[in-house]
Amino acid sequence: MAEAWAFLPALAIQERDAGRERAALTRLACWAGGFTSEICVLPPQTLLLEVAGSLRLFGGVARLFERIVTGCSEQGFTSWAALAPTPLAAQWLAFAGDREPCLDADQLPQRLGRLPLAVLDLSAQSRARLASFGVRSVADLLRLPRAGLARRLGADFAADLARALGELPDPRARFVFPERFSEQLELPMRVENATALGFAGRRLITSLCGWLAARRGGISECLFEFAHERGARQRPATVLVLRFAGATRDAERIARVLGEHLQRLELPAAAELISLRAEAPEALPGHTVNLLGEYGGGAGGAGGESLAALVERLQARLGSGSVHALSAVAEHRPENASRPVPPRVPARERSPAGLLAAAALRDTSCAPRPLWLLARPQILREVAGRPQCGGPLRLLAGPERIESGWWDDAEPATVGDVRRDYFVAISLRAEWLWVFRSRAGWFLHGVFS
Amino acid sequence: MLSQILERPDVWRADDLASAPLPGVPTGFAELDRELPGGGWPRGGLIELLPVRRGVGELSLLLPALARLSSAELAWLVCVAPPHSLYAPALHAAGVDLSRVLVASAPGRDAVWACVCSLAADGVGAVVVWLPDAQATALRRLQLAAEASRTLLFVFRPAGCAEQSSPAPLRLLLEGEGEQLVVRLLKRRGGAQPVPLPIAIHRPLRVSHALACPAPATAAARSLSQPAVA
Repeated sequence: MAEAWAFLPALAIQERDAGRERAALTRLACWAGGFTSEICVLPPQTLLLEVAGSLRLFGGVARLFERIVTGCSEQGFTSWAALAPTPLAAQWLAFAGDREPCLDADQLPQRLGRLPLAVLDLSAQSRARLASFGVRSVADLLRLPRAGLARRLGADFAADLARALGELPDPRARFVFPERFSEQLELPMRVENATALGFAGRRLITSLCGWLAARRGGISECLFEFAHERGARQRPATVLVLRFAGATRDAERIARVLGEHLQRLELPAAAELISLRAEAPEALPGHTVNLLGEYGGGAGGAGGESLAALVERLQARLGSGSVHALSAVAEHRPENASRPVPPRVPARERSPAGLLAAAALRDTSCAPRPLWLLARPQILREVAGRPQCGGPLRLLAGPERIESGWWDDAEPATVGDVRRDYFVAISLRAEWLWVFRSRAGWFLHGVFS
Repeated sequence: MLSQILERPDVWRADDLASAPLPGVPTGFAELDRELPGGGWPRGGLIELLPVRRGVGELSLLLPALARLSSAELAWLVCVAPPHSLYAPALHAAGVDLSRVLVASAPGRDAVWACVCSLAADGVGAVVVWLPDAQATALRRLQLAAEASRTLLFVFRPAGCAEQSSPAPLRLLLEGEGEQLVVRLLKRRGGAQPVPLPIAIHRPLRVSHALACPAPATAAARSLSQPAVA
């Protein structure tokens, strides 16, 4: 070590951490789930992907290979990749840095023959013995009779050669995608600005989407956690929960929502570690094609932003409580008959039965209801028995007696016992108002806007 | 040369009603459709509504069109920054599909941002926004966003703003006269319509009138066109 420093004073030394290496390899395996679900992880540094079934989907060998290699570097890894008909051959070609894809098992002896012996990961003893035979390359090795090799260097070695050439089957243990996604990424430097976390977050998101593709599902919620600098005054980790209006595995969409949240996030201290967690995946909603109208049902149309994405953008900036849908409840008390509910995208499709039910409901609820309901009834002055609101009000319709609710007095969000006579009234200034009379006097409760 | 200019959709002659590049969304009131370029609420531009007071029937004027968009065309309605909470049973009774209504309470400048986002989104049929104190720049931004979109954009502002200039191609002053809603077209493509236009919007009088004249049975199934009660 001292010698190394003497040659290169700027040398930075880092201790090798086998646990972190393994975690990084698992993260990469999850990411590779986007390409194939047949993955084999060989610690410390090798990942085998069986891609024969994915060639057509990704537009051919060259394009798939290119995508995997660029994807690896986007994930922050320097990769030596190779493509071959057998796992061992691919491994050896990768170690030798031979990137040219080999697709035909007949070409294997020739392609492997060009490789130096060093790729074979031999023990020093075996290497010395091979050198004594005059074997300098894999080609020399393949020329030797297989039975003699097995006797002199062990049966395992000969079997490996046969597996590499595809003469023996080579089954591998399949990587089991974890039940829950939980991966983390150590940041190469301290990050104080929240928006700068988006780049690291993106790596985790593509890994998440690979895992989702392999698990054939989507998520509607995931959780980012930013761990802060270790030290005496370490702050608790900042947690960011991303919610989606529907299950998704679209990396762009998740990254966009993360970006919107990060814009508003103030980090209490510099972040050192970012982790992403997601529960078991949910089934993705099918894409519905709408025959009736020009507007999509919200499942995602071509061009523009889909409605689900709109809901997420609005919620990210305004807060999730500030964006809601409405639901009418069959309730006598006016305050409880309208409820804000979380928006559901895509909306339920229109069914003939639903239409009929809606028409029936519309018909029976003939009593007038205002479009605005005041948050709290507003007391009105009374002069000579008539309620006043900028002059005396003229009662046009009513009374409608509303009387119910003594049984849920204890519920906090509801209005308890109610006994009111409602009227439609018009003011001198031509305002249409919904007023009621109770034992406490006259109140304004709604506006027919 | 002149004929080429006159063929442009954004140029119209002062003496006739401009023909809109896109057909409008029927308002549900024949007397109003006749006066609007395109025969309905025009798409691709800001529609400015200036009610003199709350409660003259300003939102009821939009309900037939909103109900049609949500129930027949399966489009979403986005309401931004409403001054009071919207009452679901009343919307439902007017024929609006509640499962396609989105309400965003966005204070101040966020309201304009929320509108611009909604106009850019797929599947939104109409955006209704209340901007009691919007600046001219905000309105211009909204007008540009509306021009790039096919979504209807209704902006409610106080009637006091009628004197200010506005980038909206359609401006309506809404007044109540007695029990009627009266619309004055302050500005439209094809010249202003100074004559006040009484509109028979739906009024909440069915209880008292049910006794005098039984409601026609045909109104039950498709009550998109409002029963005219004056």
